[in-house]
Amino acid sequence: MEKLKDAFDFSDFSRSERIGFIIFTIFLFIFPWLGVSSFAKTVMIQFMLFSLFGMGWNTIGGYGGQVELGKAQYVGIGAYTVALMMVWWKVPFWISMPIGVLIALGYSFIIGYPLFRLKGHYFAIATICTSLVLKDIFDNWALVGAAKGIELPIHDHPDFLYMQFKSDTYYYYFIMALFYIAIFYMNWFRKSKLGYQLRMIKDDEDAAESLGIDIRWCKIKAYSIASAFVAVGGGFMAVYNLYIDPASVMELSLSIKIALMAMLGGAASMWGPIIGAAFLVPLDRFLGSWLGGHKGLTGIDYMIYAMLIMIVSAYQPRGIWGIIEDLRKRGK
Amino acid sequence: MAFLDVENVVKDFGGLVANNDISFQIEKNEIVGLIGPNGAGKTTLFNCIVGYYKPDKGKIRFKGKDITGFKPFQTSREGIGRTFQIMKVTTGLTVHENVMVGAFLRTEKRAEADKEASEIIEFLGLSHIKDYHINELPIAIQRKVGLARALATKPELLMLDEVASGLNHKETEEMVELLKRLNVEKHITIFLIEHIMEMVMTVSGRVIVLDSGIKIAEGPPEDIVKNPEVIKAYLGERYAKGK
Repeated sequence: MEKLKDAFDFSDFSRSERIGFIIFTIFLFIFPWLGVSSFAKTVMIQFMLFSLFGMGWNTIGGYGGQVELGKAQYVGIGAYTVALMMVWWKVPFWISMPIGVLIALGYSFIIGYPLFRLKGHYFAIATICTSLVLKDIFDNWALVGAAKGIELPIHDHPDFLYMQFKSDTYYYYFIMALFYIAIFYMNWFRKSKLGYQLRMIKDDEDAAESLGIDIRWCKIKAYSIASAFVAVGGGFMAVYNLYIDPASVMELSLSIKIALMAMLGGAASMWGPIIGAAFLVPLDRFLGSWLGGHKGLTGIDYMIYAMLIMIVSAYQPRGIWGIIEDLRKRGK
Repeated sequence: MAFLDVENVVKDFGGLVANNDISFQIEKNEIVGLIGPNGAGKTTLFNCIVGYYKPDKGKIRFKGKDITGFKPFQTSREGIGRTFQIMKVTTGLTVHENVMVGAFLRTEKRAEADKEASEIIEFLGLSHIKDYHINELPIAIQRKVGLARALATKPELLMLDEVASGLNHKETEEMVELLKRLNVEKHITIFLIEHIMEMVMTVSGRVIVLDSGIKIAEGPPEDIVKNPEVIKAYLGERYAKGK
């Protein structure tokens, strides 16, 4: 009960934040009815999906301070579990998605155990490697479609069990529901024992250990929570796109985007990942369509991301949210 | 059975023997000082006890339980709290949150940890700075925050690494008062490394002296200051002979 109360208790936020949050919620609710194009709806769905990823990443990457660049492997695990179970055994989404999350959890414990022997840059590099290895395996594994990927069977009628709808609006509200579950979860998480302990670990590992915190175990727990979040998003991607391949759900650039969105918006803050996604998803979309029409410019988007990372880490490591907080402090 | 029993501890950093065959005991409710010149192996001995290092030889028992080779978080759970010689200057958690993290060791509930932290902060007279970050505080206050954080884990044995270094005369006196209060009111056994002689001599009931990794003396402060071995270690051969 107390946990539920913590999840819905936003009283320690400022008044303007709470009002902003309510207006934002109303806006999200009515957005599909504003007569917007389907492209706009797609961008909105992407925005909420990446916010979900970012919030997941924020547990270990933000609060825990561990630069984690391998989240794509868990997107892949979530997506492939849903897709394969549907193709092979016609398992409904509502069963396969939780199974995907469980597999991601199990896998993250196995990977996390050796991974968290490492610290700092070595840890970051190792997370990239584990993700790349998994992608390579899926790229060459004929049983799961190899590099060609898998297509999900398309049903004639809209089907709630398999999450197949003709209109994007349904997907929109579904991802919105997940998005809000994530927000409430994070609101609980930041006030939980694990949340505090992770922030201590980020501040000072030696001191954290002297206060009875089992650092490695804490990190593994947070890493698994992040992985579960991301696997939910992966499952959604499978039913939403109806087609997945290793390049779309396990690519390194996906891992980087997830981390970058949270860092740009403000790691270790409640709204950071959401702000980051609101900024980067439209940019990503725009660059994608614009660069698609200009041969020879592909790759520029990566240069822009790299530049953003450098600017953020040099100018304000706490991201956009950090800038907002500084401005507010100065205003007082 | 001694409260803390250190038996023949050896820690060898490949050629440099930092602790050579050190044995001593601490009884419940004592305040024991650990002194010695720079490089005598004091901090190494501390780290062996709390688990940052694993002793190469020897045994460490706490309340009768063998804790040799325990990790720091395990010794902390057993009831050994410690502070650091150098506090890491951090910007993440506030003072209150720092102490809360300590309190979270003994409870799962945030409300309880919050209350516990407030009480300790009050006890140490830190209420006015509880929402500051550690980087915004002067060193004397930082030390107290480190102490508050360790106290929040409800330790039975508190190990303080140079808790008074960098403090001025008045602050040192306050620290002595505080340690005595902790010892009397909260029944916490205290084991402290200290450089400032007047502090060790006023606060400790017993002093252990290390030099070059060897225990050279042990006894009440008034005997220790007269001990020729100790004078030799601190001032050199010439002064020990009284010339």
